[in-house]
Amino acid sequence: MASDSALEGTIDKILGQTESNILSGLDSALSESKQSLDDSVITLEQEYDQIISNGKKEADKIEKQIIGSSDIESRNKKLTTVEESIDKVFTKAIEEISNADRSGDYSNLIKSLLDESTKILGTTEITVFTNSKDKDVVQSTLSQYPGAELSSETIDCLGGVKVKSKDGAMTFDNTIDAKIERLKPLIRKDIATQFGVGN
Amino acid sequence: MSAEGGVQYSKIAEIKGPLVVVDDVSNAAFDELVEIETNEGERRLGKVLEVGNGKAIVQVFEGTTGLSISGTNAKFVGKVMEMPVSREVLGRVFDGLGRPKDGLPDPIADQFIDINGEPMNPEQREYPKDFIQTGVSVIDGMITLVRGQKLPIFSGSGMSHNLVAAQIARQASVIGKQDDFAVVFAAIGVQYSEAEYFRRSLEESGALKRSVLFLNTADDPAIERIITPRVALTVAEYLAFELGMHVLVILTDMTNYAEALREISAAREEVPGRKGYPGYLYTDLSTIYERAGKLNGKKGSVTQVPILSMPSDDITHPIPDLTGYITEGQVVLGRDLFRQGVYPPVNILMSLSRLMKDGIGEGSTRADHGEVSNQVYDAYSRAQEVRALAGIVGKAGLTEIDLKYMDVGDAFEKEFLSQATDENRTIEETLGILWKIVSKLPKNEITKIKDKYIDQYYKEQ
Repeated sequence: MASDSALEGTIDKILGQTESNILSGLDSALSESKQSLDDSVITLEQEYDQIISNGKKEADKIEKQIIGSSDIESRNKKLTTVEESIDKVFTKAIEEISNADRSGDYSNLIKSLLDESTKILGTTEITVFTNSKDKDVVQSTLSQYPGAELSSETIDCLGGVKVKSKDGAMTFDNTIDAKIERLKPLIRKDIATQFGVGN
Repeated sequence: MSAEGGVQYSKIAEIKGPLVVVDDVSNAAFDELVEIETNEGERRLGKVLEVGNGKAIVQVFEGTTGLSISGTNAKFVGKVMEMPVSREVLGRVFDGLGRPKDGLPDPIADQFIDINGEPMNPEQREYPKDFIQTGVSVIDGMITLVRGQKLPIFSGSGMSHNLVAAQIARQASVIGKQDDFAVVFAAIGVQYSEAEYFRRSLEESGALKRSVLFLNTADDPAIERIITPRVALTVAEYLAFELGMHVLVILTDMTNYAEALREISAAREEVPGRKGYPGYLYTDLSTIYERAGKLNGKKGSVTQVPILSMPSDDITHPIPDLTGYITEGQVVLGRDLFRQGVYPPVNILMSLSRLMKDGIGEGSTRADHGEVSNQVYDAYSRAQEVRALAGIVGKAGLTEIDLKYMDVGDAFEKEFLSQATDENRTIEETLGILWKIVSKLPKNEITKIKDKYIDQYYKEQ
């Protein structure tokens, strides 16, 4: 009997120790898992914030791309439309200039063009070229310029004159076409302003 | 712009390299624009380099290939080269001479401005001190760029300077203010693929609408390269001083510009200076670099980032050497870092922003910026020494603190320096990484930062 009770006592002791070991193991596992959960909450929150912030950055980038390209596209369309309108204005103006009446003040214009040309070339020893429509007006004005002569060759232009020094070294294009070409950027600006573009 | 000028001369005495000598010229002016007309009616632009004794020497921007003495005419336009400018130039792509390259018409000009610009009155200059955020950590954190500064990037052949340039152009911004910001990008003698990369990169990031691109590709005539930075800066000055914008001008590659200058100088038979470059290279470069700055009473600013590739990575070469005299610091790209695959491969020990101290700190970036940056400089410099020592005695011969500095060096290159080409870091993020690196050192090694900042930002690892 005595040995049975000693055995039972030992078994109880072992069971008790095992139970307390298991319980303490469970406790530490619980606290470890709690700790690990707490830690992972912080990491998770950091990662969550990182993902959100990256997502925001990416969204901002895409938004900028979309807005930027559509802004550019609409601006380009506006530029093309304005340019088409400017071209139409030029075409109409050129048509009107080419059909303009050659009488009255036109001879004064030719004279001022010849004055300007001879001044720039520094000589009146020149050959003058013009179109077939202006030949008579130019011929009648040339008498005022000693040494100047009208070429029998005509040039294709809206009006005005092209002068060449007699030695052939210098040429000055003072046709209406050349004047329009020289002033085109300024005229374009004026036309565009009429359409409400530019300053 | 006027309707005057326009005399055409037909006596061409000589064609020599990019130069045309016109005879019997009576009324030409220095720098006057000239239209060269070929036999076939093709028109090329040029400018007068010299006049006298009835002759004019004309530099033809588009080259003289195909020109012959007979049949070529030179029309002196009566004005210097001008760039038409208006707000409409934003979002546009031009060639090296300022002509549209995007298939759209010429911009409707608000003004026509002489491309040579007007020198800034030194008395009118305002000292640059406002921070520009590029989104590139190494620049923002350690070689800070400020508005109105000229800060060149010294690179080498084949290195990633163009990627850096495009990244800066895409990302650069003025933080905390609603001021308008614009980028003027001048590509000088770059390959077609690079020019396309710049254009696509700005288009895709949506940054093109605030940018103006001038693209002179490698196959364009070299002489055009003389003009490209000047038209770019003319537009930049207009945007800055007429429209009040803060303009960042990126010029890449200035070495190609200097080569073009050498070509003309050789054709003019001028006495060559160092490595054949003209003796006036310094003066000429200064006429470009000195167009950066801020003016009293004007809202805008022109900031320049010229990029130049150093032949044979030689920093004593005349181009980087003379550039360094004029600019306010330099960003040097390192071949070793580039070979290791580090992007951007900035060698901070050779780099410097002379105006950084005035553009950082409380009110602009953060109060601790200067100190943490200095500490990292110091630590990286020590890391380089330790690496050299380890190469001789081996890692086993290093002390514990030496090993910590080696770790700092590695972390600096991997975490701070290395950055994706599309990664735009805020200044807060940049400073955060700097503190992470500093925190790898024991506290007693931190000698350049005030205790209050250490208490606030140091996180022992």
